[in-house]
Amino acid sequence: VSARRFAPGETVDFVVVGSGAAGGVIARQLARAGLGVVVLEQGPRYTAADFRHDEFDYWFNLGLSNKLDTNPQTFRPSASETAQRVRDFPAAWYAPSVGGSSNHFTGNFWRFHEVDFDERSRLGPIAGTTFADWPLTYAELEPYYTQVEWEVGVSGLAGASPFDPPRSKPYPMPPLPVKSSGVLLERGARKLGLHPFPAPMAINSVPFNDRPACAHCGFCIGYGCEMQAKASTLYTMIPEAEATGRCEVRPRSYGSRIETNAAGRATGVAYFDADKREHFQKARGVVVSANGAESPRLLLMSANAKFPDGLANSSGMLGCNLMFNTYTDVHALFEHELNEFKSVQVTRIVHDWYDTDPKRGFYGGGGLDGRSGPMPAVWGAFASQGERRWGAGLKSLLEAMPRAMVVATHGTSLPLMTNRIDLDPDLKDAWGLPAMRVTYRDHPDDLAFASFLQDRAIEILHAAGALDAWKVPITPAAGSPHLLGTARMGNDPRSSVVDRYHRTHDVRNLFVCDGSSFVTSGRGQPTMTIMALAFRAGEHIARFARRGEI
Amino acid sequence: MDSSGASRRRFLEASGGTLGFAWLAANWPQVAAAAQHAHAASLADDADRTRFLVLSAEQARDVEAIAAQIVPGGRTPGAREAAAVYFIDHVHAGPWAAGAKDFLAGLADFQAKCARHHPGVAQFADLDADDQLAYLRHVERTPFFEQMRFLTVLGLLASPHYGGNANKAGWKLVGFVDQHAWQPPFGYYDAGYEGFKPYATPAVKGSQS
Repeated sequence: VSARRFAPGETVDFVVVGSGAAGGVIARQLARAGLGVVVLEQGPRYTAADFRHDEFDYWFNLGLSNKLDTNPQTFRPSASETAQRVRDFPAAWYAPSVGGSSNHFTGNFWRFHEVDFDERSRLGPIAGTTFADWPLTYAELEPYYTQVEWEVGVSGLAGASPFDPPRSKPYPMPPLPVKSSGVLLERGARKLGLHPFPAPMAINSVPFNDRPACAHCGFCIGYGCEMQAKASTLYTMIPEAEATGRCEVRPRSYGSRIETNAAGRATGVAYFDADKREHFQKARGVVVSANGAESPRLLLMSANAKFPDGLANSSGMLGCNLMFNTYTDVHALFEHELNEFKSVQVTRIVHDWYDTDPKRGFYGGGGLDGRSGPMPAVWGAFASQGERRWGAGLKSLLEAMPRAMVVATHGTSLPLMTNRIDLDPDLKDAWGLPAMRVTYRDHPDDLAFASFLQDRAIEILHAAGALDAWKVPITPAAGSPHLLGTARMGNDPRSSVVDRYHRTHDVRNLFVCDGSSFVTSGRGQPTMTIMALAFRAGEHIARFARRGEI
Repeated sequence: MDSSGASRRRFLEASGGTLGFAWLAANWPQVAAAAQHAHAASLADDADRTRFLVLSAEQARDVEAIAAQIVPGGRTPGAREAAAVYFIDHVHAGPWAAGAKDFLAGLADFQAKCARHHPGVAQFADLDADDQLAYLRHVERTPFFEQMRFLTVLGLLASPHYGGNANKAGWKLVGFVDQHAWQPPFGYYDAGYEGFKPYATPAVKGSQS
C-alpha cells in the first residue's frame, strides 16, 4: 500500500500539525483506526542518507535545527524586560523535519514515576507556582508506555531500577552495551550505596521491527541516525501511518492558522507550502502536535472575533507554565581511556534522588547519567573552565579527551505563569507571521536542586576514582529542547487548556497533544511520556471520531 | 599507560568495526550505504587553504598568533599547525558571514589596544612569546578573547571541510576517530565489566537525600 494523496479541496477526517514524537504517533493511530489523515510538517523530509557526522553544521550552524534567520525568536527573562532577538542558538530548540525532534534526540526513554502525576497532592501547594496534579495517573498511562517500548522500540532492563514504577511487560530489547562512562558511574554510585542501572534508550540494541541494531558511531544527540537504529518517528510511526493508505504527510507545509466557523468548531488549517503559497486543508477535526513552543504559537496566531485571545485560551493559560527541565554538566578525567565519542550517549543512570525530599529545603527531583561530552568541538568548547580555558591548561585538557567523561544532571522545573511562549509584538518571520517570544526565568528551587545534583555527581565521580572532576557553572536557562507545559491538561477549564483526552475545553473538534500537555515537568526526559500520551490520545480521539463526538 | 595494550585495543576495535560493517552491508545494504555517506561527508578535507576570504594577511597573522597561544603547539600540534586561522577566516565568509563585521571590529580594537600597550611593535604577532602571553592574560576576560577562544577550539575540532583541523590534526590531538561503526569494548573500563548485578532488596523510595 502506498501513501495516500488527498485531492485539493477534499475534507479529511483529521489534520495533524506536526510529525514528531507526538504527531507521528497520533497520525499512525488515527490512520490505523480507519480515519483519513493529512500531516502538515513545517520542515523537510530527510532520508537516512541525508544525515551527516558534521558537528559544526549540526551544533554550531543550526543544521537540523529551527533557523533563526527565517524563523526568528526573541527572549527575555521576565515580562518587565524587552525581549531581544535570539542570535546564536534558539531559545526553543527543535528539529523541523518529518520525525521532528525525535530525529535529533538522545533517546533517553525514562518512564515517568507515579509521583510525577500526583506530586501536588503529596507535597501540597508551592507558593507563587501553578504546581498541580495531572488529571491522569501513572497506572492509566502504563499500557501506553508499554506500547511505546514495543511498537516504537526501547532497549532496557526491566526490574533493574529499584525505583521504577510497575510495568506490565519487560523491554523488547536488552540494554545497549555498557560504555566506560557507564561502568564508572555504576562503580562510583554503588560504592556510595546508590542504585545505578542500565539506561532505557529508544535505540536498537539488536535488530528490531525491520530496523538494524546500533553501530555505535556515537552521533546521537543533535544528529539524525543514518543507521535507522534510533527510533525517530521518521523510521517507525510515519511509514506505518502511510502504509494504511489513509495518511498523507506533507513536508515543508507550515501551519499558519486554524480557522473556526460560526458554531465555534475548527474547520481546517491554513498553511504555506515550500513556495510560500497559502493553502487551506479542510478537516472534521484538528490535532495540534507542533511542540510545546509552536503549538501555543499556532493557537495564539489563530485568534479571531469569537476567540480574541487565541484559540482554546478562555483560561488565559495558553502559552504559560513553560518548563525547560534543568540540565547541567559535571566533567571528569580518569587514568585510562574511555573513548566516550564511541556509541550512544548514555548507558547507566542514577535515580536515587528522583523524589523530592522536603528535608533538603527546596522542591526538586531528578537523575544523573554518565555520558559522552558529546563530541570533540562541543566538549572542547564547554569543558574548558577555569585554568583550562586557554594556553597550556587547555592543551593538556584537549589531549586528555580519551580519558574524559561527563555526568549530566536532569531535574524538575516548576510551572510558573510568568514563564511563557507568546507572540512578539514587533518581530515577524519570513512569512510575515508574528515571531515567537520566549519569557523564562528558572524558579530558585530548580537551580538549587540542579546544584544539589552537581554535588552528588562530584561525589560519585571521586568514588569512581576520578583524577579530577569539575562543574560547569550553573547559569539561568536561556533556552531548551524540552518545551513543556504551555497547553496544560486538566479537568477544570478555568485552569487548563485541554482535558484528560487532549480535547481543548473551548473547541470540541480541536485537540492538542505534545510536550505542551504536561502539567509538571517530570525529571528531565520528556519524549517517552510525550509518545505515551500520543498513543493514548490517538486511541481516544479515534473513538470520539467514530462516535460522532467531534 | 600501557601503550602496547592501547594499540592492541585500537586494532581490535578497528577490525571489529569493519567486521560489523561487512555484516551490515550484507544484511541492510541501504542502511550501510547511508552510514558510509554520513561518514564520508564528515571526513572530506576539501578546504582551500591557499588564500583568506575575509582577513587581510596582516589580520590573519594576528589571528593565527592569538590562536597559537590559546592552543599552543610543541610536542603535539596546536592551533597553528591545524590551520585554525583558515577556519576562522572561512566561517566568516560562509556560515557566519553575518558576524564578520563584529568579529573584525573586535580584532581591530584588540590590535589598536595592543599597539598602545607596546608602542614601536608593528603588531601582536611580532611580540615575543612571553609578551604575547602577558598581553593575552591582560585581555582574557574581554568578549573578543572569549570569541577567539571559542573559534580556536572549533578551528581545531570542526570537520576539515571548514578550513581548520588540517590533516585532522585537531582530531588526532583529542584522540577522536570518526568511524562509522564501533564494537565494544569501547574503552579500558568497560573491557573488564562483569555484567549488571541486580539489587537484592528493593530500595526505599526517597530514602536518599
